[in-house]
Amino acid sequence: MDEYAIGVLTNIGLLSFVAASAYLLLVAGELSFGQQGFFGVGAYTAAIATVMLGVALPVAIVIAMAFGAAAAALVGATTLRLRGLHFAMATLAAAEMLRILFELFHWQIEIGGELLGPDGTQGFRGIRWVFERGLEPLEFMLLVYGMLACVVFAFTLLERSKLGASIRALGEDPELAGMLGIDVVRLKLGVAAAAGALAALGGALFAHHNTYIEPRNFDIMLGVHSLAYALIGGLGTVFGPLLGVALDLGLLEGTRVFQGYRMIVFGGLVALLLAWRPRGLLDEHTVHWLRNRR
Amino acid sequence: MRSLAALLIIFFSGTAIAQKLDGKLDCKYAGTDFIYDCTITLQRGGQPLSGAQVTVGADMPSMPMAHNIKPIKAAPTGTPGEYRARLDLEMTGEWAVKLRIAGPVREQLVLHYVFTESGTAPRK
Amino acid sequence: MIDFIQNTLDGLSVGASYALLGVGFTLIFGVLRRANLSYGPAIMLGVYLATWASFSSKGLLLLAAIAVAGTVLAGAYVERLCFAPHRRGPAVAAMAASFAVWMQLEELATLLLPRHLYSFPALYDGGPLAFGPFTARVESLVTLAAAVTVCAVVWKLLYATRFGIAVRAVIDDGRAAELSGINVGALSLRVFALASAIGGLTGFLIVSSHEQVTPMLGMWSTLKGMLAMMLGGLGSLPGAVAGGLALGLIEAHSQWYLGPQLRDFTAYLLLFALLAARPPWMNTRSAY
Repeated sequence: MDEYAIGVLTNIGLLSFVAASAYLLLVAGELSFGQQGFFGVGAYTAAIATVMLGVALPVAIVIAMAFGAAAAALVGATTLRLRGLHFAMATLAAAEMLRILFELFHWQIEIGGELLGPDGTQGFRGIRWVFERGLEPLEFMLLVYGMLACVVFAFTLLERSKLGASIRALGEDPELAGMLGIDVVRLKLGVAAAAGALAALGGALFAHHNTYIEPRNFDIMLGVHSLAYALIGGLGTVFGPLLGVALDLGLLEGTRVFQGYRMIVFGGLVALLLAWRPRGLLDEHTVHWLRNRR
Repeated sequence: MRSLAALLIIFFSGTAIAQKLDGKLDCKYAGTDFIYDCTITLQRGGQPLSGAQVTVGADMPSMPMAHNIKPIKAAPTGTPGEYRARLDLEMTGEWAVKLRIAGPVREQLVLHYVFTESGTAPRK
Repeated sequence: MIDFIQNTLDGLSVGASYALLGVGFTLIFGVLRRANLSYGPAIMLGVYLATWASFSSKGLLLLAAIAVAGTVLAGAYVERLCFAPHRRGPAVAAMAASFAVWMQLEELATLLLPRHLYSFPALYDGGPLAFGPFTARVESLVTLAAAVTVCAVVWKLLYATRFGIAVRAVIDDGRAAELSGINVGALSLRVFALASAIGGLTGFLIVSSHEQVTPMLGMWSTLKGMLAMMLGGLGSLPGAVAGGLALGLIEAHSQWYLGPQLRDFTAYLLLFALLAARPPWMNTRSAY
């Protein structure tokens, strides 16, 4: 595989985490414009852990996920009663506040004669853990997909469990779910925290792939894209958001057929697709039909 | 257990930091389609670094995972420490240029430049 | 004290353009109960067309007309592609579709004019006017006057025409309005045209005041319009005007006292706190 193909595949994998995070919230009936904020929290936390605290990447990923979950739970707890556009705008405001906090975040220490650490709008350079361990791009890609496989597996288990059914019930009708004996508040918080952890996992991997992060990496474009990926791919299964990412990055960016016009083609296709299938390609009906065919 | 210990050693061990590598970029606008002819200058400890294999890529700051250009190999110009590459960017503005360097040293550099229709300037 | 008053004046003049964007956003939201993320990018396309035209003609009225016409066309396209098919379907799909078209419009605009920065003919060439210790830019006064005029016209349209009665009926209760014989599809297209015309005019005022055009205009307009709409309580036109002016004031004062980064932070913090606390004037009806 050439380097470019590996690069595109790695990016597809990394974006899949945020898309899956947006998907989890969509299934629970919440529309978030702010998952990029927790992606950023994950990226900054993991980078600080490996670069400045000398922690190993696997440990750093766990810390990053914990921070992402905590941040998301905090936002979730203050926005519990909000739905629809109110919730979307509140999450957007939270993510933008996080991005501005990254811009104000200066904490550099000298390591090996070089000042390292977050430097406001200048970003955070030299996140070299992966590079220094001699991990080749292909190996890192496999690491990303290994983690993604774990996430997909967890989702598959979830979809078959009672918890998964509760989350879908919450998404359909929160009042009804409450009457059915589901603890709506706890479930909402749990889903928000899990989605935050998932986005943070993607962010931690992204920081170490890119070796460099800056606040603008985590602006609204990332959040709205991941939401759109989940909606295009479909809300019936976790493969939906992954399909959404693969369609955009793999088919259009990767093949470069429509170079220069990619967004015009992609945008038009998505709008038409949604007119035809409002809950995405792999929507609940399709998934149900696919399952029952066996 | 032993393999776990070996893994732990790999994960927790620090590596010796090599002498810092400096990279500079100077690009001329080729006139059409956001193609830039770039000269890359590499120095290590003040000495030009020759004989390296340099791969150049670029990302935009917003949505770096979606807007990137196909990495290309830079060719040595003959002057020590100088390499030449032709970048085909999608638009003017700020780009994070990524250099992957192999050969005498393995290194990875990210340089920030603003690309305009007259050339490049480092980001403030 | 002088600083405070001067900041208030500056804030009001910036807020006037936010108020206009908020009014356009709210018109669409009120009728469709759906957020149109493409509102800003449609404005961007209209303004880019005007910028392109400005290479051969500097007539301000002509450029304003081109900006308005371009935005209206783009707005109508957005309505047909993203909102007409989803009038009864899930609101999320309409919003996602409007985001997809955002990408389209933005790329179309940057294909027309690919550079990062273009200059735009100035609305007014002279310096600011002085009133005692205070100064006011003529551009700001024009924007304020335009905002007042637009609000008056929209008010007149809504409360003194058949079109306005239909619009208000749909805003109050879409289904009942439809049952009483209002063609909601046709109405929604006309509301889009009206909102886009306001947007195009606002875009023109903004770029001719700043004398420059950048590709950030699309996202900026959508964000400011949504913020003004949300701060004003979501769904009320006077609220959107108040929200826009409030946003302008908050930005001007926090920029002065706290600096530019904290300016945006303050605006977002206020929005977040308002949403979390949900004061009585905020519309709490669940809506997308």
